Amino acid sequence: MSWLDSTVHRAMIEAALVGVLGGVVGVFVIARRLPFFTMALTHGTFPGIVIAALLGVDLYLGGGVFGLLVVLAVVVFSRARGQDFTAATGIALSGGFALGVVLVSAQDGFSKDLTAYTVGDVLAVSTSDLVITAGVAVVVLVVMAALGKELLLVAFDRDGASAVGLPTAVLDFALLAIIEVTVVATVPALGAILTVALLVGPAATARLITDRLVLLFPIAVAVGVSCALAGVWVSTQWNIAAGASIALFCGAAFGLAFLASVLRGRLRPAAGVPASPVAVPEEARA
Amino acid sequence: MTQQQDRTAALVLEKASVAYGHVPVLEELHGTVHSGEAVALIGPNGAGKSTLIKAVLGLVPTVRGRIEVLGVTPAQARRDVAYVPQADTLDPDFPVSVEQVVMMGRYRKIGWLRRPSATDRALAAEALERVGLSDRARNRFGTLSGGQRQRVLLARAIAAQPRLLLLDEPFNGVDAVSQHALLEAIAQLKQQGAAVVVSTHDLAIAHLACDEVCLLNRHQFGFGPTDEILTPERLRATYGGHALELRGDRVIVTQT
Repeated sequence: MSWLDSTVHRAMIEAALVGVLGGVVGVFVIARRLPFFTMALTHGTFPGIVIAALLGVDLYLGGGVFGLLVVLAVVVFSRARGQDFTAATGIALSGGFALGVVLVSAQDGFSKDLTAYTVGDVLAVSTSDLVITAGVAVVVLVVMAALGKELLLVAFDRDGASAVGLPTAVLDFALLAIIEVTVVATVPALGAILTVALLVGPAATARLITDRLVLLFPIAVAVGVSCALAGVWVSTQWNIAAGASIALFCGAAFGLAFLASVLRGRLRPAAGVPASPVAVPEEARA
Repeated sequence: MTQQQDRTAALVLEKASVAYGHVPVLEELHGTVHSGEAVALIGPNGAGKSTLIKAVLGLVPTVRGRIEVLGVTPAQARRDVAYVPQADTLDPDFPVSVEQVVMMGRYRKIGWLRRPSATDRALAAEALERVGLSDRARNRFGTLSGGQRQRVLLARAIAAQPRLLLLDEPFNGVDAVSQHALLEAIAQLKQQGAAVVVSTHDLAIAHLACDEVCLLNRHQFGFGPTDEILTPERLRATYGGHALELRGDRVIVTQT
């Protein structure tokens, strides 16, 4: 009997893989302020999964293709006059989820799959699911390592990136596609609604702990993997939903880091508050 | 005059008109900036100063006439052109250190899929030294004051070793120490043969840092040596009702 025949072993590996993926990709999700977009993607892939299930094709394929369509739609619509990225994202979120619900309601005997899809079931992952998640993790990590500095420049200074001739639209699409692929790979473990926890929580927690980009990645990965493994362990010990446990650990990790930063007096004014218009003398800052 | 003809033209505007889609923003611009010279773009808000900078970067199309940068088209010249945005347009919460921002100036020359070499690191460190912020290299960019952030962005441009430097309102809201550091670094770049285009609404700085002035408000109201162009008549024409006369020969600009 292979080590991988154990449900719990498979669940642990899957959890560790999505923990790594969520942590690494999450750093960019947080830096570019894309949690809402990520939330929309998790819901936007929903109709793709339903259609795939109806047609009897691979669920990953259905969700992946539909998610890419959502990414394209958001990018195109956000360029329309008088619209911004968040408006297009909101429409994609509600529209995608609604379309999925309509498709499901038109069918009978589909509700079991639907539950697994919306809140996930990491204890049900098969060896082939593991292979897909591992493959996605390798591809995402290689692409992010290869395009790292260009993605960083576009994220920090769009005009500056255009000025040196970088294809900013292509790089934007590359990042959104990376997020999309990560979402689709994470859905079987956490479900559509909870996936966002692993893509936002660990990186947001890391951001509370450090300001340094090089440290953000390892800390986010450590938090992501720990939360994912702890969630699976708690779930098997007390027979509670694994996806929800993982999401709760992510929330708890963020809460603890937040408390710690309050105690250390490290909190800055909220991002939405504009900086003081009065120039502070350099000497006072040093 | 022969000396002037010997110098290389870094930026040539030839009856250039620039438009976003079908809406013309700037019309009939005409003038030349030589290597080693600085020109100030002066005009009220909405005059098209930023648009001209974007056109020189090849990001906004020239619909009539011609813009030539370092002897080629703007898009072809990008490798040798550096752009300094206004510091307050960048997210102060972004998790990036001062030295990482300066290194971004090397990205174009490093190229895709490669990492910074020892040479790139040395050039970035030297650029940061030139704006006097070596001691802040490891700080997060957003923790610096506005003026210091502007200096870091200039260091990023210096690290790119440009032949043409474009600065968009670099002196806005900048304290005296940083203003001095910026002016010093710009003067040094000029000495090394770079051409500089700087948009500003500060006429004193234009006098101090620039050899030439381009008065802009949709059209060009003058392009030439600073003393010749910054006259009360031309300023009144450029700023319309927002220029007030002061003791006959001086002008106050009430809206910038």
